[in-house]
Amino acid sequence: MDALFTNLGIGFGVALTIQNLLYCLLGVTLGTLVGVLPGIGPVATIAMLLPVTFTLSPISALIMLAGIYYGAQYGGSTTAILVNLPGETSSVVTCIDGYQMARQGRAGPALGIAAIGSFFAGTVATVIVALFAPPLAEVALKFGPAEYFSLMVLGLIAAVVLAHGSLMKAIAMVLLGLLVGLVGTDVNSGVARFNFAISELSDGVGFISIAMGLFGFAEIITNLELGTKREVFTSRVSGLLPSLKDIRDCIMPILRGTALGSFLGILPGGGALLAAFAAYTLEKKVSKNSAQFGKGAIQGVAAPEAANNAGAQTSFIPLLTLGIPSNPVMALMIGAMMIQGIAPGPQVMTERPQLFWGMIASMWVGNLMLVILNLPMIGMWIKLLTIPYRLLYPAILMFMAVGVYSLQNSPFDVLQTAVLGLFGYIFVKLACEPAPLILGFILGPLMEENLRRAMLLSRGDWSVFFQRPISATMLVMSILLLIVVVLPAVRVKREEAFVAD
Amino acid sequence: MKVEGRDFWAGLMFVAFGVGFMIVSGNYPMGTSVRMGPAYFPTMLGAILAILGAIILFRSFISREKSPLKVIEFRPLVLIAGIVVAVVSYFAIGLRSAGALGEAAYMVLAGGGLMLIFGAFGPRLLWMILGASLAFGYLLKPLGMVLAAIILVFFSAFAGHEFRLKEVLFLSVGLAAFGVGVFIYGLGLPLNVWPAVFGG
Repeated sequence: MDALFTNLGIGFGVALTIQNLLYCLLGVTLGTLVGVLPGIGPVATIAMLLPVTFTLSPISALIMLAGIYYGAQYGGSTTAILVNLPGETSSVVTCIDGYQMARQGRAGPALGIAAIGSFFAGTVATVIVALFAPPLAEVALKFGPAEYFSLMVLGLIAAVVLAHGSLMKAIAMVLLGLLVGLVGTDVNSGVARFNFAISELSDGVGFISIAMGLFGFAEIITNLELGTKREVFTSRVSGLLPSLKDIRDCIMPILRGTALGSFLGILPGGGALLAAFAAYTLEKKVSKNSAQFGKGAIQGVAAPEAANNAGAQTSFIPLLTLGIPSNPVMALMIGAMMIQGIAPGPQVMTERPQLFWGMIASMWVGNLMLVILNLPMIGMWIKLLTIPYRLLYPAILMFMAVGVYSLQNSPFDVLQTAVLGLFGYIFVKLACEPAPLILGFILGPLMEENLRRAMLLSRGDWSVFFQRPISATMLVMSILLLIVVVLPAVRVKREEAFVAD
Repeated sequence: MKVEGRDFWAGLMFVAFGVGFMIVSGNYPMGTSVRMGPAYFPTMLGAILAILGAIILFRSFISREKSPLKVIEFRPLVLIAGIVVAVVSYFAIGLRSAGALGEAAYMVLAGGGLMLIFGAFGPRLLWMILGASLAFGYLLKPLGMVLAAIILVFFSAFAGHEFRLKEVLFLSVGLAAFGVGVFIYGLGLPLNVWPAVFGG
């Protein structure tokens, strides 16, 4: 326990410097902004800002990027409640009861309870990250290449199992991602693979180009194709504070949402979206007020909002301890770490305690900022919602283009991103989720490296993966997961859970 | 015959990628399972991907859900025109040796043919958005931030549902100013403000 406080002390020492406070503020403000605006999410924003982080110190960069992620969870709920559009995917469920509350003139309390629930969940999740990350990292330090390989298999399988859409296509996208990740010079032999004699490709396909092409460009194009119409409840927001009865009604839902969200966030493939869905479903089952769900029940806002924030934060645990991303945002965080020359993994905690604990402490600081920032500034966010998309997307497009161009001051990266944007559009049209691809892309080279080492150590014996107990457990778990999902009963449930999406 | 169109194309795509990666891997040493060469892992992955793709393709025929085979817009006439222009440009390759004018004419022919072939697929706005960013990327150095930004905004605004000239004018000037202020002066990116002929 003492060690925990010392460590958190180090963390707050880092997080509370003026410079880092400013970057945290910048991150959460930007996050709220993109969370509020439908049509641009945290993934595209973080991808857009990655090139800028070159010039920052590693800790400031990570604090800012993390702030964007959990800030977006706050912002997304505002749009969900006022416009009935998910500003951010994880607020899909908040739309259901939040918008009904707004229609009944209770937009204020809905926004208020969303912020309070999120803050509570954020605080608890920060403590959970601080408590669970160190022991997990210690276990991970004992991992050999075989364990790492199996862990990555498990992580990827879990990610596709929990993702929505067709399981087969998701696995195929992971494989495609792994393959694209291998483009470029092979570290062992020095052979340039799959570069088609294009010299720029010998360093591999740019991670930022992938993220911006598949998420940013594809998002703009599909948004334009669908066309967006909005109706905003601007005039009726008054009295942000929920009544005492509201708060009493929401204590248990917030607690349950936080617990469920924290747990689901740790799982690979989890994170905010799944947490929100699960919390809403659970609450609808256990609440005394379940008849009101869908007609403006405040519990239906509080629980998923707490859960998505908790999930957003605990999904940092696999990133910080194992160096394995559980969702695309975490994949981007790994990208940011690598840009800064930090190899993500369990050694980060021991070798760079300031970075590790500083980031954890900054999460709590950021959550506090969000509550303070959001409640009084809600009027400004509402005004932002009235900006039409036709003015926004050229600006987003320009920021993305400048961002990729400035990576190496060359138009090649813009070309590469545009080509990937084309693929992103095709993937959308073929109902192939791009998220698994990006996870595979990050893990491709790592998996190959660990597979090679494991096989070298075992002298070419494939059974090594089942002889080492930890590795075997993880592989068995992956197989079980796959079997469970293919079972008809679970399949129906899984499809039900994502119907609203 | 009715199929699930999206799965049909997705399956084909995965098979193509899987087989493609396997074929290209053939150029690199395979190694052994003890010392894996650069081809080992990608060949393995490519094979699994191709098999999965084949299953998805097969499943699209027996799936209970149906969706049209036509997943994106397709303009056959444009495609034919594109192929014709491309074929003409192939036979007109002699133009390249006929001085600068001939070279330029050849480039227009060949490029135009390719653009028509691509443009035959998908919505117009897709190509406008991608084209706008490409134009920005390639014009940023010769024309500078201000002009490139204005071009990008105009091009991409045309892709939208409504185009209001006044609004787009303001937006382009505003974004150009923002780009110069934030990216060039604020973040210190080494980009030109004005066309290089004016001394950057």
